[in-house]
Amino acid sequence: MPRTSIQRRLIAAVVISQLLLAVALASVAVYFTWRQLREAFDSQLRGRAMTIAALVRYSEEEHPRLIFEDDMVPPSLEKDHTDLYEVRGSDGHLIARSPDWPADLKPTPRKNHPHANFDLAGVDYRAVFLEKLPVLDREPDIPPGDVLNVIYAAPTEEMTRAVIFAGAGIAVGSMILLAITAVLSVWALRRSLQPLAELAGSASAISTANWELNPSDAARETMELAPLTQAMTTMLSGLHRAFDQQREFLANAAHELKTPVAILKSTLQSLLQRPRETEEYRAGLEQALEDMARLEKLLHSMLRLARAEQWAAGSVRRDLEVIEVASTCQSAIDRLAPIARERNVSIELNKDGAMPIRADAEDLELVWANLVENAIRFTPEGGRVQVRLHANNGNGIVEVEDNGPGMSHDELAHIFERFHRGDSSRARETGGYGLGLAISKALVEAYGGTIKADSTPGQGTRMNVSLPLRT
Amino acid sequence: MRVLIVEDERRLAENVARALRESAGYAIDMAFDGEEGLFMAGSNPYDMIILDLMLPKLDGQTVLHKIRLSGSGVPVLVLTARDEKESVVKLLNAGADDYIAKPFDLGELMARVKALIRRGKGQSAAVLKVGDLEISTSDLTVRRKGKPVNLTAMEYRVLEYLAHRPGAVVSKTELLEHLYDFNWERFSNVIEVYISGLRRKLDDAGDSKLIHTLRGQGYMLRA
Repeated sequence: MPRTSIQRRLIAAVVISQLLLAVALASVAVYFTWRQLREAFDSQLRGRAMTIAALVRYSEEEHPRLIFEDDMVPPSLEKDHTDLYEVRGSDGHLIARSPDWPADLKPTPRKNHPHANFDLAGVDYRAVFLEKLPVLDREPDIPPGDVLNVIYAAPTEEMTRAVIFAGAGIAVGSMILLAITAVLSVWALRRSLQPLAELAGSASAISTANWELNPSDAARETMELAPLTQAMTTMLSGLHRAFDQQREFLANAAHELKTPVAILKSTLQSLLQRPRETEEYRAGLEQALEDMARLEKLLHSMLRLARAEQWAAGSVRRDLEVIEVASTCQSAIDRLAPIARERNVSIELNKDGAMPIRADAEDLELVWANLVENAIRFTPEGGRVQVRLHANNGNGIVEVEDNGPGMSHDELAHIFERFHRGDSSRARETGGYGLGLAISKALVEAYGGTIKADSTPGQGTRMNVSLPLRT
Repeated sequence: MRVLIVEDERRLAENVARALRESAGYAIDMAFDGEEGLFMAGSNPYDMIILDLMLPKLDGQTVLHKIRLSGSGVPVLVLTARDEKESVVKLLNAGADDYIAKPFDLGELMARVKALIRRGKGQSAAVLKVGDLEISTSDLTVRRKGKPVNLTAMEYRVLEYLAHRPGAVVSKTELLEHLYDFNWERFSNVIEVYISGLRRKLDDAGDSKLIHTLRGQGYMLRA
């Protein structure tokens, strides 16, 4: 695809409009010049025709009595001159005409317009027709009655040349002006596009080490660039956040993987340290498999979290069926019953009304299982975990409350962070990796819901999940 | 030698303990959180401590700081999942003697542990020499005048401990404390059994007496 240049297009637009303007102006100017010159030419023609008419006299002895005194013709009509004339009487008889008037020349005036143009031997002529001119040299005893019709023609060559000359002058002037404006507009455009080039320069200085867009003063002060600069800054801060999040996740993940890998490695290495009995090898390999299972569990959790966050970001669409929240709660509780029994913690489920939701049952079950498992962990032996469900304003509310030691305010602020382990002694005992609540949060948010926690130290912790129900 | 492992990952602690017991014959105690680790470090005479950094209750950095504050110069090897320069520099400045990043090689870990114990006792060679007696701590073998001497695991441990401090008087109690971890029963007369066994195997092969008994005070290894 050919690249388009704003600069070139703008300059072309300016030059073309200037050109059109110049052409229009020149045309108008040439037209008016031509009109002026022709009027002057016509009045000159009329004046000369009147002069010719003035040379007609009465004669006593001749018949018809009107004669033309051709020895009195003005210099403009002397031989070798190109003007032509013809004088006729009122009855149409020829009184006089130029000696070189061709016999077949019979110019006729246009309607309401006493002029005619004709071509004579390659030369353009313009003629004026004056009718019913009185004979000036009138005898006192002769009654008035004779009038004259005069045709006078002259070559228009000179006038045409003057028009062309004027037109050429205007055209040359416009061209010079046009060239100047083109140069000026190129310069002005270059100058006004400079901030854009500067902005591009600062944009190309952006890297994963430098997220700050530092537009030049010119770019900052250009009104047209403000939305672009604004959009770039917003986009950059979004990217920066996402990048940091990913980098942090990667660093955390790599860090968290080190311990299970170290365990597995040390198990295998200690097995190889010296020759052992078959039974010892078997026990060692079983240990290694167990270590492997922990590593796998961590990897599974990390992938689950990454996927949930992808859904939350809306980059993946899924076809979901309508399910009942209470049944997912029940199956999560059933799943955790053995752990609860082992720790002698009771779990109560209170539900109130139907709570249909469009979601994946496994996702919701995981959310509740994470919350309930956390509650069980943080409850001392003989404690109680309560799960309460109710609908409120089109939202399904699920509360998981324990009567454990609770958490401090500072502690609460971090519980949804990835790889966060509260007081890790308890978490480690049960093999937690600090991903459960982060996964729950991502999943709840993927379904457009919210999750929050509050706690009273010494009394317990309450997790509150709100999910938009299908209505 | 008696070593304390402070590591909350039970499986990792057990693997390291097993390796050190099997290959170096050390007595190993384990603590699974910072508080327990600090308590044990203060109440038993360890020859070295392996300390994890990410610990529940009290983090490794604090444990290390408190051990050093108490005036103890016990060699400390830090286990860390981070190997960035800054944190390593910080650790060494805080009083750690060495560090090893997870996931580590068990062989390397043991070599570092042995080196730290040697240096902690003023020895830097892997082969300890007392007169014509040579004790190789890397492969746990003993030679006198170039001839190998076969010792039991406990006899070796007693001899190695004495050889780390040649010329010093080591009491029976000290030997008991450094050679046994909590899992073992202690009888003070077992030390006498090992000493007499050692005397028989070492001194019969050579001319001069190497292990001396100072009545009421303890034992001494000297050429």
